[in-house]
Amino acid sequence: MSDQSKQNISQLMDGELSRDCSRFLLKRMNHDADFRDSWNHYHLLRSAVQQDGQAPLMLNLGSRVVQRLQSGSEADKPSATSGRGWLKAMTGSAIAASVALLAVISFNQNNLSSADMDSQVPEYAKTAKQLINPPNAFTARVEQKPRYTRYPDLTPQVQHYIMDKNTQTVVPIYYRIQSGQQSPVQQSIQNQARHYTDE
Amino acid sequence: MKQDNNTKMSEKTLDAELVEQAKKGHMPAFEMLVNRYQQRVANVIAKLVKNRSEIEDVAQEVFIKVFRALPRFRGDSSFYTWVYRIAINTAKNHLVAKSRRIQNTQVEYEEAESFSGNEAHRNLDTPDAVYARGELEQVMSKAISQLPEDLKTAIILREVDGLSYEDIASEMDCPIGTVRSRIFRARDAIDQALRPLLDKEQHNKEHVRSI
Repeated sequence: MSDQSKQNISQLMDGELSRDCSRFLLKRMNHDADFRDSWNHYHLLRSAVQQDGQAPLMLNLGSRVVQRLQSGSEADKPSATSGRGWLKAMTGSAIAASVALLAVISFNQNNLSSADMDSQVPEYAKTAKQLINPPNAFTARVEQKPRYTRYPDLTPQVQHYIMDKNTQTVVPIYYRIQSGQQSPVQQSIQNQARHYTDE
Repeated sequence: MKQDNNTKMSEKTLDAELVEQAKKGHMPAFEMLVNRYQQRVANVIAKLVKNRSEIEDVAQEVFIKVFRALPRFRGDSSFYTWVYRIAINTAKNHLVAKSRRIQNTQVEYEEAESFSGNEAHRNLDTPDAVYARGELEQVMSKAISQLPEDLKTAIILREVDGLSYEDIASEMDCPIGTVRSRIFRARDAIDQALRPLLDKEQHNKEHVRSI
């Protein structure tokens, strides 16, 4: 290597070389180990005069770092996102993919077994655990909450119980009241009935 | 706007060029960046970490983190300011992790007392490494002291005081071309003095690797 090239390296590291020459030299240094050796040795002198008493003299740390990076795992490659960001993105994608896959599988199975399903008695989740893990995964149906329900916070099972009870024929309470305690409405109905029978 | 190509490439622009090349995966460019800032980073770490052998490990860790984070470096601050922050955080994390390790290992009371009380015993460098480093520092110190006075003054004004070539020319009352030449000759003289030692160390490292 010529003295002129070495002097250019010396000027380059001090920010005293023209842009054109600097760019040319940087390209050259990427491919020429002798040029890089001069760069490293000139910086070693800088390290020596800048060395703090507590710190050891650093000698070509760059080659050790690069060696470690090249022998290291994929994680040592530069990444636009941090490690946690990358993990979060991958987790999100994995969850989305799983949900999509489950949807496709359950759709296909529902189509295949729709005839069987019609003949089966619908199976409802009876406990909280079964709501999460239905007793018969793809055939199980979880009763939707009726929108008109007056008890939206109750479980479907309890809502069914109330609805079943409500649909039973129940004698209105005022029919069970004794004759001596009849309400004015009941009295008027009975009076009218008597009136028609008398006629 | 067209840039004047005859203007100088400042040190900040030089760092930015090296960063861009390193981002593209040119490892020689990253190696040059590390060697450019290795000592300043080690000096920063040494303010927090007292064990000399650990300082080098932490410095390696710093530059590995720097490499991973390069795509996020936008150049708003200087490269060194950015590296400085990473170095401080890494050194602090190292101390926290170390104190946890010491608590977990339940060191005997006597051992713990001697461990924390004797700084010299905490230097875990291998004897060869200590000797090589000591020899290098001696040769370097001798080479600097043997430099002609005008070369020594020029290199000290540049490397210690951080003056530009123009300011050094003004300080030494000589043309800027002379300053350029003096600084280069000082560097080259020390390079020539160190070459045999550095080549020997390189040879030893390659020998160890081949074993």
